[in-house]
Amino acid sequence: MSVLSSGEFWAFVGVMAGIYTLFTLGLQVQFGLAGLLNFGQVGFMAIGAYTMAILVVKQGWSMWLATPLAVVAAAAAGVLVGLPTLRLRGDYFAIVTIAFSEIVRWVATNEDGLTGGSQGTINLSGEGVATQYNGAWERFQGWVGDQLHIASKDVVMLIIVWTAALVLLWLTARLARTPWGRVLRAIREDEDATASLGKPVFRYRLQALALGAAFAGLAGCFYAWQFSFFGPDDFQPLITFFGWMILILGGVGRVWAVPVGAAVFGFLFAATRFFDFPPFSYLDSADRAYVRLMVIGLVIVLLVVFRPQGILGRRDEMVLE
Amino acid sequence: MLLEARDVTKSFAGVRAVDDASLVVEDRSITALIGPNGAGKSTLFNCISGFLRPDGGRIELAGQRIDRSPPHRIVRAGLARTFQTARALTRMTVLDNVRLAAPAHPGEQLDGLVLRRGAVRRREREVTEQALELLRLVRLEEHADALSGTLSGGQRKLLDLARILMASPRMILLDEPMAGVNPALREELLAHVLELRATRGITFLIVEHDLGFVMQASDRVVVMNEGRVLMEGTPDEVQGDERVIDAYLGTHA
Repeated sequence: MSVLSSGEFWAFVGVMAGIYTLFTLGLQVQFGLAGLLNFGQVGFMAIGAYTMAILVVKQGWSMWLATPLAVVAAAAAGVLVGLPTLRLRGDYFAIVTIAFSEIVRWVATNEDGLTGGSQGTINLSGEGVATQYNGAWERFQGWVGDQLHIASKDVVMLIIVWTAALVLLWLTARLARTPWGRVLRAIREDEDATASLGKPVFRYRLQALALGAAFAGLAGCFYAWQFSFFGPDDFQPLITFFGWMILILGGVGRVWAVPVGAAVFGFLFAATRFFDFPPFSYLDSADRAYVRLMVIGLVIVLLVVFRPQGILGRRDEMVLE
Repeated sequence: MLLEARDVTKSFAGVRAVDDASLVVEDRSITALIGPNGAGKSTLFNCISGFLRPDGGRIELAGQRIDRSPPHRIVRAGLARTFQTARALTRMTVLDNVRLAAPAHPGEQLDGLVLRRGAVRRREREVTEQALELLRLVRLEEHADALSGTLSGGQRKLLDLARILMASPRMILLDEPMAGVNPALREELLAHVLELRATRGITFLIVEHDLGFVMQASDRVVVMNEGRVLMEGTPDEVQGDERVIDAYLGTHA
């Protein structure tokens, strides 16, 4: 139990929950507001992370310029994916997005010259030269730590990630209440009816997809800084489905449900790893790592049965036709 | 004339659902489009409202060609439609259902939200007032803050009407407004249609199976059969026409 009582460990769990909050906030805009089934969110995250790292390492860009551009690149990828596919029916669109994220991962694996290939970003400058992209980030983190008189890097990271997450949550919650958000919700309810009231459905969907992709791109940058190294295997489709679990746990359509879902998910995911009481103690630690996915799955099944609207969702919205 | 469709054709897998159909709707008229099931009325409706693109022919609204425009452009050009079943956006409030339909709202553009915040607020206030007024017109104002999914079927029909009026169209296409409607609501809807034409000068094109309603409400009747326009005339002319009785009533006999 020593790890579970360590502040560093929980700071790490909190950072990951913050990164997943940003990631899932994108899904909330796309699905919760606009009804888009995006199963390839991790692809946009990968584009954000790789764009930032490549611009810093290969082009020598400042991190402060590379990061906004990485976010824009992820949004642009959203537009590119959306242009030919958003006119498709929902289920076809969902399949295309999965394929998109796998294409991104396989390109990252095989384009060694661009991405460092399967060895990841450590190989960005070619064989034999260990490459880092986060010098400027470490300095920024150190500066924030000095200002706040906090020594622990993990805690500083926790503060930065959650500051970014809270600002974007607040902005998104405001955006959801605007007339723009109203059109998105209308499209989610009935796209033909919305079109028949004079709204260009396709353009709104494209905007929602791009905005959600931008959030994933930023999540990718934070992910990159947190680990100071990443590779194609960090962007498995499973990550997208973690995002969906968080969305369902928290509640679809409610912006402030995202951090709640992410915190619960992060807690379950981290804590279940250290269950050392029966029946978990009969398994070795490697097997227990799989058991936690089963535990999370069970929680979601129970939630869908007993509280289908999620932790913060509205029940009265679930029963309407 | 306000709407003119000329030689409109639409096929599905080789079947000509609409076959060289032409019709004219005069400004401020109430024109009914009738015909037996499968006559092509709904397909023609979908072509006019932009939900289907015709294979051939030409459709003009006030002299402006609309048959290649997407639905939202056609609405902005002044022609709006309803669907056979009322399409309430169930998880949104009744008020939001109506406000949604407001045209030219800067708050619906991302750049407007950032750059024209004053204009957004002003327009939203204006739109809310107008929406409440329309809800009063259809006597739904008490339900303004309820989720529209809680409304009954009849109330949803009225909500549909209020919502479409928010788009301030010159012409409204009603797709079987009387389907599944009780006698009291039937009278209410009929009164609304006549009133809206009289006070706002709105033109109506109505697909309807309820012949009683057609005879009461419309000035002109267009009869379709097997994808073609069989005849066109006043309700009295149509009622007495042998061809219509054969095509339309014959199928019900």
